[in-house]
Amino acid sequence: MFNPRPQQAQVIAFRAGKMGVSAVPGSGKTHTLSHLAAQLILEGYIKDNQEVLVVTLVNSAVENFLSRIKGFLGESGLIPGIGYRIRTLHGLAHDIVRERPDLAGLSNKFQIVDEHESENILRNAVNAWLRGNPQFISDFSSPNVDPFTNHKVMKDWHALAIDIARSVIRLSKDRKISPLELRRKIEGQGMMHPLLELGCQIYTDYQQALAYRSAVDFDDLIWFALNALQTDSAFLERLRYRWPYVLEDEAQDSSRLQEQILRTLAGEDGNWVRVGDPNQAIFETFTTASPEYLKNFIREPGVEYRPLSNSGRSTSSIIRLANHLIQWTNTDHPHLEIRDALTAPLIEPSPSGDPQPNPPDDPEAIYLSDKKWSPDRELKAVADSLARWLPENQDKTVAVLVPRNERGARMVEELKGRGIPYMELLRSSLSTRQGAEILSSILKALANPTAASHLSSSYSLIRTRQNEPDDFKETIAAAAHILADCKNPEDFLWPSPGRDLLAELASSNASPALLEELEAFRMDMRRWQAATLLPIDELVLTISQDIFKEPGDLALAHKLALLLESVSQDHPDWHLEELQLELEAVAKNQRKFLGFSDEDTGFNPDAHPGKVVVATIHKAKGLEWDRVHLLSVNNYDFPSAMPYDSFISEKWFVRGKENLQAQTISLFNALFMRDAIAMQLEGKEAASKARLEYAAERLRLLFVAITRARRELIITWNTGRAIGQMQESQPALPLAALQAFWKENQ
Amino acid sequence: METPVLSAEQNELIKMPLSGSLFLEGTAGSGKTTTALGRYLYMLQEGVPPESILLLAPQRTLLQPYVQATQWVEAPPGSVAVPATVGGLARRLTALFWPLIAAQAGFKKPEQPPIFLTLETAQYYMARLVRPLIEKGYFNTITIDRNRLYSQIIDNLNKAAGAGFPHTQIADRLKSAWVGEPVQQHIYEEAQECANLFRTYCLENNLLDFSLQVEIFTQLLWPDPLCQRYLIEEHRHLIYDNIEEDIPVFQDIIRKWLPGFDSAWLIYNLGGGYRTFLGADRMNGYALREVCGSRTTLETSWIALPSVAALRDSLLESIVTPEASHPNPLLMDAVKVVYRNFYPEVIEAVCQEVFSLVEKQVSPGEIVILAPFISDSLRFAVMSRLQSLGVPVQSHRPSRSLRDEPAVNCLLTLAKIAHPDWEISAALPEIRQALMVCIQDLDLVRADLLARICFRPSRWREGFSSFDRIQLEMQERIGFWVGERFERIRRWLEEYQVGEQQELDIFLSRIFGELLSQPGFGFHTNLDSAAVTARLIESVQKFRQVVGVTLSAESRAIGREYIHMVEDGVVAAQYLQSWDTTTSDAVLIAPAYTFLMSNRNAAYQFWLDIGSLGWWERLYQPLTHPVVLSRRWPSGNVWTDIDEQNENMESLTRLVSGLTTRCSQGIYLCTSRIDQQGDEPRGKLLRAIQSILRRLPNPTEVALV
Repeated sequence: MFNPRPQQAQVIAFRAGKMGVSAVPGSGKTHTLSHLAAQLILEGYIKDNQEVLVVTLVNSAVENFLSRIKGFLGESGLIPGIGYRIRTLHGLAHDIVRERPDLAGLSNKFQIVDEHESENILRNAVNAWLRGNPQFISDFSSPNVDPFTNHKVMKDWHALAIDIARSVIRLSKDRKISPLELRRKIEGQGMMHPLLELGCQIYTDYQQALAYRSAVDFDDLIWFALNALQTDSAFLERLRYRWPYVLEDEAQDSSRLQEQILRTLAGEDGNWVRVGDPNQAIFETFTTASPEYLKNFIREPGVEYRPLSNSGRSTSSIIRLANHLIQWTNTDHPHLEIRDALTAPLIEPSPSGDPQPNPPDDPEAIYLSDKKWSPDRELKAVADSLARWLPENQDKTVAVLVPRNERGARMVEELKGRGIPYMELLRSSLSTRQGAEILSSILKALANPTAASHLSSSYSLIRTRQNEPDDFKETIAAAAHILADCKNPEDFLWPSPGRDLLAELASSNASPALLEELEAFRMDMRRWQAATLLPIDELVLTISQDIFKEPGDLALAHKLALLLESVSQDHPDWHLEELQLELEAVAKNQRKFLGFSDEDTGFNPDAHPGKVVVATIHKAKGLEWDRVHLLSVNNYDFPSAMPYDSFISEKWFVRGKENLQAQTISLFNALFMRDAIAMQLEGKEAASKARLEYAAERLRLLFVAITRARRELIITWNTGRAIGQMQESQPALPLAALQAFWKENQ
Repeated sequence: METPVLSAEQNELIKMPLSGSLFLEGTAGSGKTTTALGRYLYMLQEGVPPESILLLAPQRTLLQPYVQATQWVEAPPGSVAVPATVGGLARRLTALFWPLIAAQAGFKKPEQPPIFLTLETAQYYMARLVRPLIEKGYFNTITIDRNRLYSQIIDNLNKAAGAGFPHTQIADRLKSAWVGEPVQQHIYEEAQECANLFRTYCLENNLLDFSLQVEIFTQLLWPDPLCQRYLIEEHRHLIYDNIEEDIPVFQDIIRKWLPGFDSAWLIYNLGGGYRTFLGADRMNGYALREVCGSRTTLETSWIALPSVAALRDSLLESIVTPEASHPNPLLMDAVKVVYRNFYPEVIEAVCQEVFSLVEKQVSPGEIVILAPFISDSLRFAVMSRLQSLGVPVQSHRPSRSLRDEPAVNCLLTLAKIAHPDWEISAALPEIRQALMVCIQDLDLVRADLLARICFRPSRWREGFSSFDRIQLEMQERIGFWVGERFERIRRWLEEYQVGEQQELDIFLSRIFGELLSQPGFGFHTNLDSAAVTARLIESVQKFRQVVGVTLSAESRAIGREYIHMVEDGVVAAQYLQSWDTTTSDAVLIAPAYTFLMSNRNAAYQFWLDIGSLGWWERLYQPLTHPVVLSRRWPSGNVWTDIDEQNENMESLTRLVSGLTTRCSQGIYLCTSRIDQQGDEPRGKLLRAIQSILRRLPNPTEVALV
C-alpha cells in the first residue's frame, strides 16, 4: 500500500488544470505520477473511450509506469490496459502519425528507420559528398596534418562530417523545414557557408534515401505528429477527448517540438501535469532539448507549482554531497554563465516517521579518490574493490557507472576476465544481443557451409546459452572441438558411404553422450541447411523454433524475422551473407534494437543483487543501487570550460581546433534571427558557447550519477590516453570541489 | 458436388417464369448464390441455350461457384455459359469491335490490334514512363516505395473510369479535399501529370489498361447501336451476383441494359460492400432495386447460436456508442479471449486451441484464423505450427511473390547463365541455390563446393567450368553422382548457347522438359516446382505478348527485361499461386476481408491482433483516395477527421457484422500486449471489446484460453 508523503499527496490531489512539479532525485515521482493516474481512473474521471496519457522519456520507464499503475489498479481484467496509455514521446508521436498517416503523406505501412539505419544512410550520403568535395577537408584541416595520407584522421573527418550533418538535419526538423526550404533560406539570406552547404546537401540526400525506403526517422515522427495535430482540427478534437489528462515525466528533457505536441494535445483548458528535475537534464548537447522549457512552464500564470523535495533514497551523507554540488555550482563555479546549471530545490531527507525513510547514514561509505590512475589501472582498482566487496554483500546491489559506452565495454572485459558476475546496461542489452548473436552465428554457418569454424562456433553458442549442468560442459567442449577440427563438414553433416565422421567416432569408442550430442546438432543443422531455400524470415523462424524456448526470445526472433523481411525487400539483391551481417550488427552492439527482455523494457536493479551492473550514466537515470562506482570523473569527460580542459568536440586535426559542429549550429540558428550581429557568432564564440553548454550538462550528469547511490559511493578518475596533441587529463573541477568539501566535513 | 437442400421459398424463386427482372437481396449465408445456381440449372432444364445466359460478378473469385456449376452441367462443348466479370466482357467486346472504335477512342494505330494490359504489365509501362521523372525529382517529398507509387497512379485512373469522371480531374478532386500541408498539392499535380502521360502513351501504342477498357466500354461501345444490338441479341438472360461490389459505371450500364433481357436476376449482399477501396459503390448497386420488376429478401437459413448473435449485437453497439452500450451476458458463451504478453505466445495458444477443437471432432474446414494483415512471418509461423500438430491448414493469402520462390530463382539463374549477352550476372549464392534446387538430393555443403569451384563470379560470362577438370580429391568430396548430373546441366547449357537464342519462355520450357524434369534432377519428383514452372512460363508468355512489340522495336531482350522486372519487384504483386478457393477440409488462415469475399462460413473464428488499427482504418495511399475519387464525394468538400472517423466506423461495423454473420459457434479474440513490431496496440476494435468486457456483470467468467 502506497502511503504518500504530504508533498506527494498534493500532487496526487490534482484533478484539473496545469501543474508543474520539480522533483529531486529519489523523490518517488514515478510512483506519485502512477498513483495519480490510477486515482483518476478509479474515481471515474476517465470515460469508456478515454485514457490518461502518461508520457515519459525512455522505453524502460514505460514498463516501470505500467507495472506500478497496474499494481495500483489491482487489475484482474481480461485484457489489461483499460483507461491509460503510457508512451515515450516518440511512441506517442508514432501513435498519432500511425492513426492518420495520410496527413503526413504516408501509407499505413510506413517504416521507421532506427538509429543504426539512419546512421548508415547518413554515412553513405556523407561519404559521397566528401568524395565530390575534397576541398572541404583540406580547407578545414589543421596545417600540421595531411588527412589524405593519414587513414585514421580521414576516418575521424568522416565521423565529424556526419556529426555536423546530423546537427543540421535535427535542427531543420525541429523547425519543420524541408531540405528545399533550407536551401531557399540559405540562398535568400546570402549565407553560403561550406558547413551549411554540407549540411543542406546531405539533408537533401538523406531525405531522398528515406523516401526511397518508404521510411521516416524518429525526428520526422515528432514533426509529422505536430503537423497532424495542427492541420486537422477535428483530429485534434478527437485526441483531446481521448486523452483528457496528460501526465508528463522527465519534462526537463523536452524539446521545443515535444513540448508543443503536448501543449497542443492538452489545449488551453486541458489537464496537464509536468514533472521533472531540471538538474537531471542530460540529453541536451547537440539536440534541441532544454530544461528551460520546464522552468518557463512552472513560471507560467495559472500553473500550480509543487516541489517534491523529500528523498528517501540515499544516506544523508550522499545527499549532502549532492547538495554541495548544487551549491558549489551556484556560488563558486569559475564561469558565471554556468552557475545556474544546477538549481534549487536542494534535496531534503524524508521527514521523520516517513513511510519511505532514508538508509542509516554512513559517512565512511563515501570515497572520493585522489589517486592518479591510468585508465587501465582505474578499471583494475575498481574490479579489485568489487572482488573484495561482493562475497560479503550478496544481497546488495551495485553498479559501475561510466560516462561513455566504450569505457563500459572495457569494464565488462575486466570483470569477465576475473569471473566477477556482471550485467550490462549499455547500448543494446545483453540478451537481445545474445539472441541475435546466436541467430547470426547460425546464419553465418549457413552462408559459409564449408567452414568448420563457423559450424563449431554456432554450435558452442547455442549450447552455452542453454545452461547445461557443469558435468556436461566437457561433452559440449569436446563436441565443439570435433566440429572445429572437421576438415570436410560434409563428412559430418551429409556423410557418404566410407566418409562418415560420426561412424568413425562411434568405432573409435567415443562416449554415447558425445555421439548423441553431435547427432542431435547434425539433425538441426541439416534441417536449417535445407531451409536456406526459404525466404529469410521463414528461415529465421524455422531456426528460432528449434533453439528458443523462452517467450521473450521467441518474440525477439519474430521481430528479427520481420526486420530481415523488410531489409530484404529494401535490398532485393541481398543474399544470406549480407542479411547475416545485418543481424551481426545487432549482435555486436552497434545498433540500438529494442528487444523483449526485461533489461530493455524496464530494468529493476533490485532483481539482481550480488551482480555488478555496468551502465552508462545516461542509462542509469531513474535507477538506484546500494553501492555505486563512478568512473572517469576527469576533465575530459567532465570538463568545466577551463582553458586547460580538452574538449571532446574540438578536434585536434581541425584548423585552429575549431568546434565545427558548434559553429554549424550557430550558423544555422543565425539563419532564423533577424539580428545580423548574431549571425557573426562564429568560430571562437560558437566554440566557447558550446563549451559552456557542454560543461553545464556534464555537471548535471555528475549530479545524476551521484544521486544513483543509496548507501555507498566511490568516485575515481583517470588520466586518459593522450591522443594527438591532447594532454593528460586532470580530476574534474567539481570533483576537486567535492573532495575539498568532504575533507572539511570529515 | 452435393446438391444443397433448398427451402420452399428458394424453389419457388427458382421456378419463376423466365421473364422479368428480380432483385434478390439477403445477408451472407442466406442462400442467394445457391438459389441463383438453382435458377441457372432450371433455365438449362427448361431448354434455355446456355450461351445466351450471362453470368456476371465483379471479381473472378466470386464467379467460382458458377465456374464449378458450369463444369458439371452436361452440355455440348462450346455451348456453356461463360461466367465473366463486366471487365472481361468489356475486353471481349473491345477486341471484337476494335476497328469500329479504335480511331474514335483516339488510338494512333487503329489499323493494328489492341494490346490488353494486365495489372503487372500496366505497372511495367508505368514504371518505364515515370522512372525518368522520379530521377528528375518528382515525388521527392513523399515517402513511398516506387512500386506502390506506380500502382497508385494506375489506381487513380481506374477510380476515375469506374466512377465515370474524366481522368484529367483526378488532381483537382484530390487537391480540393486536402486539409494538410500545401506541399502535398504539388504531389497530386505530379501524379496527374504521370496519369496523363500514361494515357497518351497507351493511345499511341494501342495499349489498353483497365481504365481505358472501362471508358471505351461505357463511353463508346455501349452507346453504339450496333454493339448494343449485338449484346442484347447474344445475351437473353442475366444472373449478376454481388452487384454491391462492382463499380458504378458498370452498374449504370446494367440499369440501361435491364429492359433488354428476357430475364434478369440482380443479387445483392446486404452488409456487403467490401471493395470500396477498389471503387465499388454499393449504394449505386442498391439503387438498381428500384428498376427491377420484383424484389425479394432471403432470410438467413444459417443457424448461429444465440450467443453469437448476442456477441454481434453487443459488439456493433459498443463500436458505435461504447458509453451507452449494454452488452448481453449471453455473449459470454460465444467468446473466448487469448491474451499474452508476446506475439509468438499468442500464436502458440491459438494453434493449441485449434488443435483441441479438432480433437473434439470439429472439422478443420470449420475453423478460420483471421487478421487484418497476414505477414509472411505470421503465415509461416501459424502454418508450420499447425502442420506439426497434424492439423491440415491452408492459406488464403497467395504464398509467395515470384522472387521468393526457389524454383523460380533456380530457373532464372540458369537463364542468366545461358544468356550472357543479357548482361545480368549471377551471384555465387544464387548459383549455389540453383544447384541445390535442380540437382536432386544435393546438400548445401556440396552445392557450395561445386559452385565455388565451377563458377567464377568475376568471369560469369563464361558460365560453368567442367566438373572433369576439378582435382580428383575434390571430385570425391563433391561426389561423382553429383558431378555427373552437373555435367549434364553444363553440357545442356553449352549446347543451348551454340544454337539460336530463344525467348525466355521457350528456354524455360525446354530446360524443364529436356533436363530438369528428368530422373536425378530436382524437378523430377517435385510436383510443386513443376506447377510453379508452368505458371512462370505462362507469366513470361503473357509479358511477351504484351510488351514484346515495344521491346523488339527498341531491340531489347524480353527475357532480360522480365528478369529485371522480377528483381525490381515490379511484379511482386504477381503471385504464382492461383487465387482459386480450395474447398479442402483444412483450417484457413486469411486476411479478414479476403475471407469475407470468399463466400464461406465457419463455426469458429480466431481474430488475431484485435488491437491492430488494420481492423478499422482504410488503406492509406498518399497518391489516391477511395472516397474523394468516388461519386458520392461532393466535389470541393474538404476531407477531415470527422469524415475519416465516419468512414472507418462504417467499415469496421460492416466488417464485424460480416464476420459474425459468417460464424455459428464462437469467436476467439486474440491479442498480445506487445505486437509483432514491438508496439502496444490500441485499435478501435480492441477498445470496443474492452468496453464490453468491463460492462459485463461478471467479466471474470469470460473464458480465457
